[in-house]
Amino acid sequence: MIFTEPKRYYVERRVTERMTATGASSFELYFARLRADLQGEIEQFVNAFTINETYFYREEHQLACLTSELLAARLNAKPRGAPIRIWSVPCSTGEEPYSIAIWLLENWPYVDEHDIEIVGSDIDTGAIALARGGVYGKRALSRLSPQVVDRYFTAVDAESWQIVSDLRDSVRFTRVNIVERAETQPHGQFDVIFCRNVLIYFDDLSRRTAAENLFENLLPGGFICLGHTESMSRISPLFEVARFADAIVYQRPSR
Amino acid sequence: MTNDAPKRVLVVDDASLVRLYYRTALESAGFEVVEALNGLEALEHLLGGHFDLVIVDVNMPQMDGISFLQTLRAKSLPVSSIPAMVISSEAAPKRVAAASAAGANFYSVKPLRAEAIVQYASLLCGARHG
Repeated sequence: MIFTEPKRYYVERRVTERMTATGASSFELYFARLRADLQGEIEQFVNAFTINETYFYREEHQLACLTSELLAARLNAKPRGAPIRIWSVPCSTGEEPYSIAIWLLENWPYVDEHDIEIVGSDIDTGAIALARGGVYGKRALSRLSPQVVDRYFTAVDAESWQIVSDLRDSVRFTRVNIVERAETQPHGQFDVIFCRNVLIYFDDLSRRTAAENLFENLLPGGFICLGHTESMSRISPLFEVARFADAIVYQRPSR
Repeated sequence: MTNDAPKRVLVVDDASLVRLYYRTALESAGFEVVEALNGLEALEHLLGGHFDLVIVDVNMPQMDGISFLQTLRAKSLPVSSIPAMVISSEAAPKRVAAASAAGANFYSVKPLRAEAIVQYASLLCGARHG
């Protein structure tokens, strides 16, 4: 991860958070703690930097593209009965992989016909734990209709809602560092990967390594969706651009 | 639905997303839904309480839909007479025949639209097997 001068505030805020959390009275004391990795502080520190506030149905046009184009294209290319595998990476606290599942239930008439596997992965173990718990606040749900909230969530209290257990069981969560091939490879190959708004935080080398790893995690002909400000063409020549009515995505060539 | 007590449906499928899909459709039409992950779990539910219909997928681990139906129909009444709808991704006549021989009242091929699930369930809830 590279943070340039405009991100100074972001860095300061996260470091201050960790100092408060660990009771360190000065930066020197906190830094000593970090270097010694006291009580797993390195992991906590990384977690603090990767927490990403997000919400359900973010970049909805890509979800629309998934059900209007991508899945049909994948099914045409696959042997009958083969599972459809979708990877949300990084998945942060789970909003994206659960959004994919809800979107399929609401908008894809073939949802009961195919074996669908949705995997959510993140480097941040704290985020993964929250994702598995599936409890969200009002802001995260703001794009969902009351009917959808009613169908797929149960109220925990006045301010929070939990994803129903069937939906929690429908997404498998794992930890992964997408720059490490030894960690990405065991996840196998997917039909569609959602990798939004993470590559922008990497330096050029890491970004290219991550893109190459993700390429290997795509089935031939599989698609990868990036954030709307990101362009794979600037990162790696491996992928082809696939333009659809709802979104521009990238594709691993079929052969 | 009438204003009688809600009809109870047991949905048997190993895929949680599919169970949720059928459950959502049925509950929004006023049915009460209980879920089971396989045939063995389904039998436990059926022996433990009253149900008006069982909807069962064919391909499941532990006990598949056909074995489940054979076992169910071999039980003593009244549990053995519960109407059963088999759902499968296979439309081949020999599959349908196998389900029929095992005691299915109805066989439908995936994908099923929410309205269709509700319609079939409404029709079958009044039925009786055997």
